[in-house]
Amino acid sequence: MILEKDNAAHCANMTKIYLTPQETAQYEKQMQDLFGWVRQLSEVDTSGVDLAAVGVAYLRPDEPVTDASMAQTLVSAFNEQADHCAKVKKVL
Amino acid sequence: MKSVFEIAKAVQSGQLTAREAVLESLQKIKELNPQINAFVEVWPEEALKRAEAIDARRSKGETLGALAGVPVGIKDNILYKGHKVTCCSKMLENYVAPYSATVVEKLLAADAVIVGRTNMDEFAMGSSNQTSAYGPVHNPVDFDRVPGGSSGGSAAAVAAGMVPAALGTDTGGSVRQPASFCGVVGIKPGYGRISRYGVVAFSSSADQVGVLTGDVKSAALMLETLCGYDANDSTSLREEVPAFSRLFTADIKGLKVGLPKGFFHELDEEIKEKIRQSADKLKSLGAQLLEVDTPHAKYSAPCYYIITSAEASSNLARFDGIRYGYEAKNAKDLNEQYELNRAPFGAEVKKRVIIGSTALRSENYEACYLQAVKVRELIRRDFAKAFERVDVILTPTSPTTAFTLGAHKDNPLAVYLADLYTCQGNIGGLAGISVPCGNDKLGLPVGLQFYGPILQEEKILNAAYHFEKAL
Repeated sequence: MILEKDNAAHCANMTKIYLTPQETAQYEKQMQDLFGWVRQLSEVDTSGVDLAAVGVAYLRPDEPVTDASMAQTLVSAFNEQADHCAKVKKVL
Repeated sequence: MKSVFEIAKAVQSGQLTAREAVLESLQKIKELNPQINAFVEVWPEEALKRAEAIDARRSKGETLGALAGVPVGIKDNILYKGHKVTCCSKMLENYVAPYSATVVEKLLAADAVIVGRTNMDEFAMGSSNQTSAYGPVHNPVDFDRVPGGSSGGSAAAVAAGMVPAALGTDTGGSVRQPASFCGVVGIKPGYGRISRYGVVAFSSSADQVGVLTGDVKSAALMLETLCGYDANDSTSLREEVPAFSRLFTADIKGLKVGLPKGFFHELDEEIKEKIRQSADKLKSLGAQLLEVDTPHAKYSAPCYYIITSAEASSNLARFDGIRYGYEAKNAKDLNEQYELNRAPFGAEVKKRVIIGSTALRSENYEACYLQAVKVRELIRRDFAKAFERVDVILTPTSPTTAFTLGAHKDNPLAVYLADLYTCQGNIGGLAGISVPCGNDKLGLPVGLQFYGPILQEEKILNAAYHFEKAL
């Protein structure tokens, strides 16, 4: 497991979460503790677990959408429409 | 306050009006909420109007629903059309639900009266209700202590007699652990039993709606009203829902109760003693105690934190101010826009999103996330094997009783361990119920938990019902 020193800052940046230098230092320490604790999972022998088979066992068959009014309901939820398109707000 | 069962029966028979039941609830909330902070918003006019409409229907001779006139609180992450739903976060400060959750529709169809939304840990992340943007909830048993979490407001509201029932959600023990801390009953059914349509997602493979009540029979009635297939939730099970409240047996002679090895070592001595006494009580009622082995269950808590944080980092990506949530003004560029928009998240939420992203990083994915998912499968197999030998499994609900507000502030791991005995239920998709089993020397409630297999909730309800009666 890679937990380099700037981990909290790097992941905060990836997830677009701003951290103050104080928060970064605090999270760094707490994350080191947490991942140190989580490391115990590596001692478990999981060689007998085939996740592909497990995943299939839990999947429910596809259920095609049969409610034809759904599309209309969704389109009508937009406040503005123009040229057969739903308008969304400007970001910047 | 009367129980769910008593209120519904009394309103249906005309011995009590729904208006009287709701007025009593509103009065209690007015009196106690300023100290306890269990409700973050109450809708008195609307609740009374609805209660009067129920009474009017009864006087016309109409048959009322199973929860006629029962005042109910709903956790602040459950959508009720036209009402605010904030997950107790500044991120959703002014968000109004555009539709109602299936569980809300079911409550209304059963003639329950929703009186308000209850406090919770922000986005359901926490075990003490101290991460709420609305401030902490105070445990009604001792105001200086936490009520547990994340459904702390719901548990406190029931324990204080503000409402006879409240809805919570349970991702790692968030219904059962606060039930234990506050001395009430909390049940989480098996995964897929209750629709999550209209419930704000935290961890999609673990989230489940649960119920908090003052007694087991009421929990059974609430559960049978809420369970059932829902096409709007792709994880909902297409299975018949038994009438749980009518399935209690005359006794529990011959019931096989499993005691998992290794679950009782790191317990507070007083809690250990209470659990031992509870096991003896079950034995005296005719139950058979058997030791079961769940060797991977000790990995549940780290497994749970990795999987749920990873899923949270994905589920909470939508709160970026563009799709949902707070929108900052005057950002210089797109990066800054996102960062400012996500600034209202509280510390615990930020931390879990960052932890989840760390676990999902390509360098960590296999050793961390994937390993946790594989261990989860081994935990599921352990419990499935154990349920071949026993009907229910008995554990403590929490390793401690309610701790003081502000405790463990600098040691989040200590708070995470509050879920030590409950997160298996979510990791394994099991049904679990917490029922009070006495008090410690300080008078704080201790909870006992029964686990049962998916689609056999009646077994844990029955065990809890007989235990409650005998206590």
